[in-house]
Amino acid sequence: MWFKKSPLLIGVVVFTILISGISFGLKDTVYQEYSISMGADTPILSLFFKGLSEGVYPWSSAPIEEPIELVEDEIDVEEVTEPVEEPVEEPVTDVSANDVSGNDVSGNSEDVTYEFTEVTDDYFCDALFIGDSRTVGLSEYCEELDSRATFYSKVSLTIFTAMNKEFVKTEDGRKITVDQALSEHQFAKIYIMLGLNEIGTGNTEYFCNKYKEVLDRIRELQPDAIIYIQGIMHVTAHKSDNDKHFNNTNINERNEALSQFADNKTIFYIDMNEAVDDENGNLLSELSFDDVHLKASSYERWHQYLLQHAIVK
Amino acid sequence: MINFSDLTFIFRFLPVFLIAYYLTPITYRTWTLLIGSLAFYAVGDIRLFPALLGAVVVNYLFGRANFGEKKKLLLAFAVCLDALMLIEFKLIGQFINNSFLPIGISFYTFKMISYQVDIYKGKIEKEPKFVDAAAYFTMFPQVTSGPIMRYSDFERLELKEKFGDILEQIEDGLKFFVLGLGFKVILADHFAMLWKDIGTIGYESISTPLAWIGAVTYSLQLYYDFWGYSLMAAGIGVMLGFPFITNFDQPYSSGSISEFYRRWHATLGSWFKDYIYIPLGGSRKGTGRTFLNLLVVWLITGFWHGVTLNFILWGLILFVFIALEHFVIMPKLPKTLGKIIGKINVLVFIPLTWVIFAIANPMQLLDYFKRLFPFFGEGISVNQNDFIKNLGIYGGFLAVGIILLLTGLYRFFVKNRKHPVINVFLFILFWACIFSLSNAAGNPFMYFKF
Repeated sequence: MWFKKSPLLIGVVVFTILISGISFGLKDTVYQEYSISMGADTPILSLFFKGLSEGVYPWSSAPIEEPIELVEDEIDVEEVTEPVEEPVEEPVTDVSANDVSGNDVSGNSEDVTYEFTEVTDDYFCDALFIGDSRTVGLSEYCEELDSRATFYSKVSLTIFTAMNKEFVKTEDGRKITVDQALSEHQFAKIYIMLGLNEIGTGNTEYFCNKYKEVLDRIRELQPDAIIYIQGIMHVTAHKSDNDKHFNNTNINERNEALSQFADNKTIFYIDMNEAVDDENGNLLSELSFDDVHLKASSYERWHQYLLQHAIVK
Repeated sequence: MINFSDLTFIFRFLPVFLIAYYLTPITYRTWTLLIGSLAFYAVGDIRLFPALLGAVVVNYLFGRANFGEKKKLLLAFAVCLDALMLIEFKLIGQFINNSFLPIGISFYTFKMISYQVDIYKGKIEKEPKFVDAAAYFTMFPQVTSGPIMRYSDFERLELKEKFGDILEQIEDGLKFFVLGLGFKVILADHFAMLWKDIGTIGYESISTPLAWIGAVTYSLQLYYDFWGYSLMAAGIGVMLGFPFITNFDQPYSSGSISEFYRRWHATLGSWFKDYIYIPLGGSRKGTGRTFLNLLVVWLITGFWHGVTLNFILWGLILFVFIALEHFVIMPKLPKTLGKIIGKINVLVFIPLTWVIFAIANPMQLLDYFKRLFPFFGEGISVNQNDFIKNLGIYGGFLAVGIILLLTGLYRFFVKNRKHPVINVFLFILFWACIFSLSNAAGNPFMYFKF
């Protein structure tokens, strides 16, 4: 009789109890990854829904691996379980040695040092840009680059998803991974800017190990390409001062580590922040509306920076 | 927690409060409401909680002193005190630090002013006890953002005792709450994302079609955010035994801007009518005086929404339109033509006034209008296809928003809300909202999809 009078209320209450019970019962197994990062002020039933959004159901098996935030000393274990590729154990400084193709045309250029020079837009005709929403913005608001270069960029892309997420559109309308796309097309220059979305994930070492893995794989697929590691663009002072994760101290720490991957022969590090920073090393506030992205009219600074920091072999 | 679309509010505060409220014997239920409301407010804004408490005590005392007395001076003093408190905090909040603006002050001071006037005018028959007045001023469903309920509606509180009646009451309120939650979480929050994306591009760089889509989007965001909130507030009120307070009554089906503002945020509009416009003489004292009274009402309306220039400009522009309707369009033009102009005003000019409402920075506002009307100048690095991308992402939400806005679907819902199909729909809607909230809340990275 009560159900007849208030079906919605009773339905909601019963479901709430049910889902809370499931979430509570499974909080240390199936939902472990979510319950660690969840504060006490969030009702427990949200575990169920967090799982749901990532395809984790109550009957899914509990994850065996440790959640990312906890991994610090066990990076090697983590890497072995990654199915993406075979890790190549090489000293960090000698990235070009990973070149497995063996037909390196610049093989005799060991002692040559390169300097950044100014180029014209046609330099980018055989260039590829890999990146997150900031690179998406570059493709949308820099006509000179968009009409010449190729962009494999996607909102919320990270170094962890860069190679194996299916988002590159092919001519016949399929979506393939960057890994597959790089197996099919060759580029002369590859620009990468990744690292902001994952700035709260793991530590710098963990991030850089993955970055190195991606660099190695790109080098393997694109033996002749000049690879540009772009330093992660800063956020504004307003953002940087108020955010535990997304601040310029963290960004600088990771950029410093990324710059070590440059061998200045085939891999170069460039940092466009000098084109958009204020005197304190924060993104100029007038260039951004949301403190993170450049406004459409500001992408020209990035474009100009790229034109002036090119390697010509 | 101070937000209705917050998991802690929905799954902790509200159920715990409802159980406590209905376990309390009828005579003391208002006390439970008062204590629960004070706790609710204190959690949200403990620093400026004393400001609320002080205002409650002072207003109760003035009300008691003036009950049945009709002392004009006393009334004037109390009203001035409330108004000064509001003005002072608004100025401090604007020019010193935003955090000094007590949550909900614009709403609770307006309730207090109406309380003083209603007591003076003898509209309140039974002398309010402290607990009644205090619970009326602070009741948690209304303290943060209205609706600005009158004391006469507070007096209509029906206290149920039978378990079945209580269930039925909560059920009915829950229906409005869920619908409001859906408007807020599913519609308004997505419109807010698009509006923010437009800001990210920079107003000087959006294409003209995107500028117009933006004007529509922001209008829809405001509508579903506030209407959704109002439905949730009214729904909670119904759960407690109060009458349903209508704050939005299909405003976009209005035939003129003056009608629009009788149906949009209706409790605020009727507050201005009853406590400012009519005491000033309304439209009974000749053309010049009517003109002046309208100007005063709309200037104060602008100021009430915010102290920055754009709100004053927004109020002034609405004043111009409403004065035109009052003095030219309605009396001078043929009826059909007047109707057509009225409709255009509502559907085209209202969204444009919301753009003024949205953008506080005058230079940015100018940039936005230049993109809306591109013959005033060119944009900078405009991507002419930007609107296609955004329609692809948000087109579905916009379509649902516009359909709900122009049709009588809401009335259909109200009429048939006991139907099993509606119940199933609301059940799914509720859990869809919870799904969405769970994945946004407590996960700082959800907001950071760069």
